[in-house]
Amino acid sequence: MASTLTPTPPKALAAPPARRMVLGVQEPEDMDLPTDPIPLNMGPSHPAMHGTVRMVVDVEGEKITNVDIQIGYLHRCFEKESEYATYTQIFPYTDRLNYVSPMLNNVGYALAVEKLMGISDKLPERVAYIRVIVGEVSRITDHMTCLGAGAMELGAFTVFLYLLKAREWLYELLEEISGARLTHSYVRIGGVSGDLPDGWGAKLLDVIKRTRAVIVECGLLLNRNRIFRDRMDGIGIITKEDAIAWGVTGPVGRSTGLDYDVRKDHPYLVYDRFDFDVPIGSVGDNFDRYMCRLEEIEQSMRIVEQALAKIPAGPIMVDDPRVRLPSKTETYNSIEAMIAHFKVIMDGIHVPPGEVYSFTEGGNGELGFYIVSDGTGRPWKCRVRPPCFANVAVLPRVLPGLFIADIVPTFGMINMIGGECDR
Amino acid sequence: MPETTLTLMTGAPVPAPREDDARIPAGTEMVTVTIDGTTKQFPKGTILVEACNSLGADVPFFCYHPGLSSPAVCRQCLVDVKGQPKPVPSCYTPVADKMEVTTASPRVLDIRRQMLEFTLLNHPIDCPICDKAGECTLQKHYFDWDAKYARNDGIKVHKAKKVDIGKHIVLDQERCILCTRCIRVCDEVAKETELTMAMRGDHEVLTTAPGKRLDNPYSLNTVDVCPVGALTSKDFRFTRRVWELQTTPSVCPGCATGCNIEVHTASQEIQRLVPRENPYVNQHWMCDEGRFTYRRISDHRLGVPLVAGAPVEWDRALEQAARLVRATLDQAPGRIGVVFSAQSTNEDLYALARLTWETLGATRAYVAGLDQGWSDNILVSADKNPNTAGALAIGSGRLKSLMDLSNDLKAGALSTLLIVGDAGVLGPAGTAALPLAKLESLIVLAWKRGPLTDAAQVALPLADWAEVDGTVTNRQGAVQRLRAAVPPAGDALPGWEIVSLLAHRLGLPLLFSSGTEGRAPAEATTARAVFLEAKQKMAFMKNADWGRTSLPVQLRFANSRG
Repeated sequence: MASTLTPTPPKALAAPPARRMVLGVQEPEDMDLPTDPIPLNMGPSHPAMHGTVRMVVDVEGEKITNVDIQIGYLHRCFEKESEYATYTQIFPYTDRLNYVSPMLNNVGYALAVEKLMGISDKLPERVAYIRVIVGEVSRITDHMTCLGAGAMELGAFTVFLYLLKAREWLYELLEEISGARLTHSYVRIGGVSGDLPDGWGAKLLDVIKRTRAVIVECGLLLNRNRIFRDRMDGIGIITKEDAIAWGVTGPVGRSTGLDYDVRKDHPYLVYDRFDFDVPIGSVGDNFDRYMCRLEEIEQSMRIVEQALAKIPAGPIMVDDPRVRLPSKTETYNSIEAMIAHFKVIMDGIHVPPGEVYSFTEGGNGELGFYIVSDGTGRPWKCRVRPPCFANVAVLPRVLPGLFIADIVPTFGMINMIGGECDR
Repeated sequence: MPETTLTLMTGAPVPAPREDDARIPAGTEMVTVTIDGTTKQFPKGTILVEACNSLGADVPFFCYHPGLSSPAVCRQCLVDVKGQPKPVPSCYTPVADKMEVTTASPRVLDIRRQMLEFTLLNHPIDCPICDKAGECTLQKHYFDWDAKYARNDGIKVHKAKKVDIGKHIVLDQERCILCTRCIRVCDEVAKETELTMAMRGDHEVLTTAPGKRLDNPYSLNTVDVCPVGALTSKDFRFTRRVWELQTTPSVCPGCATGCNIEVHTASQEIQRLVPRENPYVNQHWMCDEGRFTYRRISDHRLGVPLVAGAPVEWDRALEQAARLVRATLDQAPGRIGVVFSAQSTNEDLYALARLTWETLGATRAYVAGLDQGWSDNILVSADKNPNTAGALAIGSGRLKSLMDLSNDLKAGALSTLLIVGDAGVLGPAGTAALPLAKLESLIVLAWKRGPLTDAAQVALPLADWAEVDGTVTNRQGAVQRLRAAVPPAGDALPGWEIVSLLAHRLGLPLLFSSGTEGRAPAEATTARAVFLEAKQKMAFMKNADWGRTSLPVQLRFANSRG
């Protein structure tokens, strides 16, 4: 990797790559003027780097020869902090992993702890449905953020505003059940913190109806848009083999033709009860990634609609005094509930000694939690497998040979979220 | 050693041996017991609950305490023994040969849960205001063994909430679960019957015996053994929630017994001292007087170096001290005197000994300490200094008494005097009786401000026992480890460091061989380096162990006490 301080010494240029077609015209040979390679810093303070990553790009003219991606600008010691927090206190930290789809992180983490405790099969059915619903709503907001920001960085500001308008409708609904617009901390070990309010489902169905119209509108604005397609088509191609070798998952992995979705291949909660499709790309370029996300929004909406139709009534927390928090009335009126409340809050929920790896389909791919318990109320180790990390790691394989301007849509469609990648 | 051997021994059961326990004397009669499928040999007479828990079974109890006799009243430790028609209380049953025990059969678990339900029937809903909450055994056992919500919503029986039963203790009769541990502590440890049970059924209460108050010198042990918040220390109650506390293992500085303690701190201040088990020194107990030694950490501390009574930087104070010593050293080396303190750690004393006899060549060294006080044949020693044995051993016969110091001063035999200690350690005569005015210069290393630091040309602030790492030697000759629990007051430094800095200023640095690591001698940079050299040179420290580095542990994660 070239040093960032001293320019790489000039070297004989390799044979130029095949000419690109620009506006249907082949670039003339003599446009390849020999230039000195220079290192170029993109980020961390760069609008397209979202403030959380630095790319040291070696360029010859406009052409990228090498990329050094430096992550860690949003490192918050998630894993170490978790060792000093009770299992319940970790939920707010998980909100801040992939902060455009916090519910998915909440759910993924809760499932890991529940698996370690062996109470996965004791979850009330309603809890599983609620988790699916809020998770899929979160996935929609995640994809809308990615698509909106990606389009905006290519000049399509209208799409950004449209998508964020619709995202806000969904955030409002999540705020209604959790009290927070973004950092929900809604899920709990063994359940969720509160039931869906009356009429919430109807509101969500209405929002989905309106969101669907917005998605269609954005598709009309972008899908056949010359400017947009020229920046997306054939740019940043990840092969299926590379995706497998680098551990790329999620929409980015599926865009390469890799048919892997945790919800289908390793169903959790009640995903096996819903009829939904997993969109797969064929080229693995930016446009495939865009289309995969666009289609996944529709599929998530289908799941939400089915879940809302099927959701049963029932409790929203496992019936175990060692796990659930007693109600305030019980707490203030019986010593048993008072002690249980005290122990669950102060000592934390006791998780039997052991280790677990549990993974779910996060907004960006396979979101895994590896937890080791020593039998106390705090994890001995809480490791996250962030999907972004693998997705970003493949970029140095993808970017060389492209132009500087191609970094923007390619990085945008990878959808790196610093909070998750750096933890 | 001046003191007799430890005579404390209650009717305590034999503690169960661990795998590596060298405490089982050869020739002990052993019996074979099978507990939850694991077969092991135990010395005859081992109490069954200890045997069970030594094998990893988690048999709970309220009334049993390893340092006390067993009344078997709480019924939590019942276990099934093959051949017995009913579960037996394991705290009351010695192991027998070929015994087969099940510690968690359905029947046993059911009884345990039912007993907890009974115990909780009239227990007040006090956790949010109870000092024990967070280290409460009732909370722990309920959560571990019952964890069912209440089936009863009747009115609880109310009893007295705050009975002043002694100098240091307040009783809440509602919280009491009638385990009688406190009664046995008074009877068996303090040998005074001051507490008793009164009334019957759900009106039964703990109370003081007729005409008595709970004022024996070991009364605060009742607070430690209380599994709930019924007995609370007036000194500690309502000051801190226990999960805010950090605990550091240390040794009580109150007397030559050297009871092992935990120093509980919060916000870098000591909140309380509680005993730590050491079967060879103090078993599970400590005296009330020892618990209040923490107060001296904050009382009238000297926090900055003083030159002629005015606060200065360390640099200037050391320079001034070195100049004074140097002046005498150049003219009349024999006219320097050094006063050792039995309050210092072995490391401080060892560094000072090297300064005295290697650097200064002073022939006149004295030892000072607190006055003798009251004693009993339980734990309290008449010698109120934690390290008399260490001081005498390190001085190896060269230390003279304070009476000699007084005579030498009167005779005008000394020009410069270096004293470690403050006015309190200069014997009954105190500072006033010492004709210090005859000295040319007086240098004091002191914990507290007082007449002595006021009289000194240079006064250097010493870090006190809870602020330093080091060792002290108790009356049995056991070298025990102190660990720093709080930061030093102001700019105070440990004694060995001040001595080392002073030697450096004199141009004669003290080089310590860094112990067993075979490295080149180095100036003292850590108390451990001093300890390791002292361990090599001093016969009485031969078997001493510095122990592991241990960081303060937050009590929140240390489970229950009592």
